[in-house]
Amino acid sequence: MILNYIKIAFRSLLKNKGYSFLNIFGLAIGITCASLIFLWVEDEMNFDTFEKQDQVYYLPTNQSYDGEWRTFYSTPGPLAQAIKDEVPGVLRASRSMGEHLMFTVGDNAINRLGRYADADFLDIFSLKFIEGNATDAFKNPEAIVITQEIAELLYGTDTKVLGNVLKANNQDNYVITGVVENLPKNVSFPFNWVAPFERFGHDKEWTREYGSFFSDTFVELSPEANFETVDARIRQLIPEKSEESDSQAFLHSMNDWHLRSKFEDGKIVGGQITYVRLFTIIAFIILLIACINFMNLSTARSEKRANEVGVRKAMGSGRSRLMMQFISESLIMAFIASFVRILFLLILLPQFNLLIDKNLTLGLTNPIHIMVILSITVLCGVFAGLYPAFYLSSFKPVEVLKGIKSTHGSASFIRKGLVVGQFTISTVFIIGTILVYQQIQHVKNRELGFEKDQLISMKVNGKMIEKFPVIKQDLINTGAVKDAALCNSDILSGGNNGSGLTWTGGTNTEDVLISFRYISSSFFNTTGVEIIEGRSFNENIEKDSTSVIITESFARLMGAGSAIGKQVTADDPYTVVGVAKDFQYGDMYTTSDPVLFLNYLNQARFFYIKTNSDVPTNEALSKIEAVMKKNNPAFPFEYTFVDENFNAKFQSEQLVGKLSQIFALLAILISCLGLFGLAAYTAEQRSKEIGVRKVLGASVTGIVKLLSKDFLKLVGLSIIISIPIAWFVMRNWLQGFAYRIEINWWIFIIAGIMAILIALVTVSFQAVKAAIANPVKSLKTE
Amino acid sequence: MLLRLNQASRIIKSGGKKVTLLDTINLDVKEGEFISLMGPSGSGKSTLLNCIGMLDNFTDGGYVFLEEPVHSMKERDRSKLYKEYIGFVFQAYHLIDELTVQENIETPLLYKNVKSSERKAMVADMLDRFNIVGKKDLFPAQLSGGQQQLVGIARALISKPKLILADEPTGNLNSKQGIEIMELFSELNKEGVTIIQATHSESNAAYGSQIINLLDGRIVTE
Repeated sequence: MILNYIKIAFRSLLKNKGYSFLNIFGLAIGITCASLIFLWVEDEMNFDTFEKQDQVYYLPTNQSYDGEWRTFYSTPGPLAQAIKDEVPGVLRASRSMGEHLMFTVGDNAINRLGRYADADFLDIFSLKFIEGNATDAFKNPEAIVITQEIAELLYGTDTKVLGNVLKANNQDNYVITGVVENLPKNVSFPFNWVAPFERFGHDKEWTREYGSFFSDTFVELSPEANFETVDARIRQLIPEKSEESDSQAFLHSMNDWHLRSKFEDGKIVGGQITYVRLFTIIAFIILLIACINFMNLSTARSEKRANEVGVRKAMGSGRSRLMMQFISESLIMAFIASFVRILFLLILLPQFNLLIDKNLTLGLTNPIHIMVILSITVLCGVFAGLYPAFYLSSFKPVEVLKGIKSTHGSASFIRKGLVVGQFTISTVFIIGTILVYQQIQHVKNRELGFEKDQLISMKVNGKMIEKFPVIKQDLINTGAVKDAALCNSDILSGGNNGSGLTWTGGTNTEDVLISFRYISSSFFNTTGVEIIEGRSFNENIEKDSTSVIITESFARLMGAGSAIGKQVTADDPYTVVGVAKDFQYGDMYTTSDPVLFLNYLNQARFFYIKTNSDVPTNEALSKIEAVMKKNNPAFPFEYTFVDENFNAKFQSEQLVGKLSQIFALLAILISCLGLFGLAAYTAEQRSKEIGVRKVLGASVTGIVKLLSKDFLKLVGLSIIISIPIAWFVMRNWLQGFAYRIEINWWIFIIAGIMAILIALVTVSFQAVKAAIANPVKSLKTE
Repeated sequence: MLLRLNQASRIIKSGGKKVTLLDTINLDVKEGEFISLMGPSGSGKSTLLNCIGMLDNFTDGGYVFLEEPVHSMKERDRSKLYKEYIGFVFQAYHLIDELTVQENIETPLLYKNVKSSERKAMVADMLDRFNIVGKKDLFPAQLSGGQQQLVGIARALISKPKLILADEPTGNLNSKQGIEIMELFSELNKEGVTIIQATHSESNAAYGSQIINLLDGRIVTE
């Protein structure tokens, strides 16, 4: 029996090639799309898969400003030890600090991110030692534990490296005391090496104070520990240890590091999980559209199948058997589509990986993948086949065998409803895509307060600070560089900040978070941050050691009138000599905090170069490289472009943008396949009517209009339904951004026109074909 | 007695009006009879055949088939009954386009849950008997009208029915093919199969052992 169904299904597929193509192709696109999303979701869910995922926590801190909690990823240095000593339930705790180190072995030099941390760190992350062991690794103060990857890059494969002396940054010697397996693919806090924290902190008094927030603190709770009790105790610690601080460190589970890392007013409000959920929903919606196609085409074709149904019923088939038959047919289609999907995925996955910057694999041997593939296929097959099965099997043999074309009102109503459903979803996607694109452009084009173009950023290393005046002069002498500057933090990032300053005219100064920038006097000229009042620093640091420059928003805090000459007191009093225009850093969607600039070079971590726009970039770069090689020969010339870094800040929004574009396109494509098929069948059904009309003198355009009109009405209805849905969804999305666009009414009009045009092109092809057909033919067939 | 109709009627509502398709039909059919139903278009021939074949229902009156009261039966039992005892032959053949000759003939057996080996044997016999062994792997579209109707009859006979209902079996055929089909019917009749056919043609009707004339849903006695 089943064999018979399969046989019939295949023959009917082959017989109606066009129809089968539309159906399978549509379904395959839908399943492919859903598969891509599910692969992405799987990857997103698989972050930080360390052994003690359920027991390890990061400690962010909540700090209160203006009555609102703001969350920072930093803690005071001594906190880790205090927690370990004083909080019951905590097994291990480690402070840590991320740093790039350049390792050199012979001619091999590689620059890798790693962490200075306490010995507990090795156990907290359950690092698997290939050489050495966790207990002894940090006994030597010069120790370093490296990953297998670095070991192989530096020393080649299959070499024992334990005890080797490794030179870092061309000046410090480390002794390799352990080689560990590489970390999992997806980690929130990546590191390629770990070295004892004291190596970093021994000469820095501030790492031992409760006033400086800099450390990434990780703790491991014992399996029996009660989360609430431990968390509550940890929240009390910082205020206990330092009188003037109301900061609260709290536990953030390793399970949430990647997906739930957005904080508002001190509480988790989501994060990447929002997109994971959103795209999962979209995957199902796209599957739904593809299934709707299937239903539509199947029922539209029902007249052709009606005869078969009638005969089978007359031969004694019950309804349930017919339903079984139709469902097995759609299952077969689904399986073929599923197979086509695998081909599609093989072709598309590399492109998709490129687009979303991941390394997803098909993993066809993975039992979970096979399960998911099978269940999607079966789900689609059954779901898409169910309605046609119900509908087709309800035919009365007497009627269909007699050729009575009963008007199946309910079927055509449902069919129309399904088309409206598809186009509603497609239009929502179109509107969404436009708005996401607009929002991203809106933020990217935001007035930043500095010029990100032609700006090169380098990490400070070697002799860059002490030789800064020489390097700067050499750079300018090449003619390719306008100016160069030092700064203690990335111009795009938040960097150092704090409160506790007082200033002239200031009230509640405790409540204002100020960012500190330690800069060279050339900073303003280099970055384009504009001085609007007063002056910049003197090039001679001594002359301006008690001067500060503040931003406009800071000046406003000092009350009315010019801020020049007013006092700002940190530990010592400083005098304001200049006011700079506000500029945007950190979160590009909000308004950035006020900034205090100090003329101080020794903490500089970034070296900025503004190139001359007349000189081609390649030429400028090679000239800069020559200068750097001459003055800082021990280090390779490594740089980034600030405008590229800026674009990279919108990765997750841009991902949403790109994905929504793709999904909108696919949703529309699938819907159009369905519409195309429906139009074909309508034209076929009405071929006699068209023939008669033509004989009676109807024009081709008249007939095209006649045939297209009905479909356009449906699309029109879809647009009307989609507008409030799109408005509601997109308004919610936009509300996540402080700096955002308004939703303009004309977007709905554009989306509507697009939907109508697309539908028109799809339908009119069939309509024109039907209209120009010779009426003699169509009239003869009856 | 194979079947008995007692005051059987079929009245439907069409556009708010009652339309009487069949009006108090009384009919006894004994096993081995060959009945020809005659009458102009719309006289109710097909409706009567469909109702006897249980594809349609009488709305009134009694219908007894093999001593079982069809009129008071559930759909399921009725379906069982006609699956077992009735074969249909249609004017437009109504073969399933996607199936080969062999598979078309096999279809009723599938619905009767006959075992595969048994099915094969029965189909082979039937092909042999109708001399269409050479055509068993062809599709309906590859056959002439007469050959298609032959397959249609073979399919109707495969489940060894007691009664064959044929609605204008030669309506789509030329006269030569028509004669062949009618000869086949009378042969089958001689072998004991009861046949009721609806026809327009006097000469075809003459093959039957009894002619019943219908007019406006009523049996006309001449």
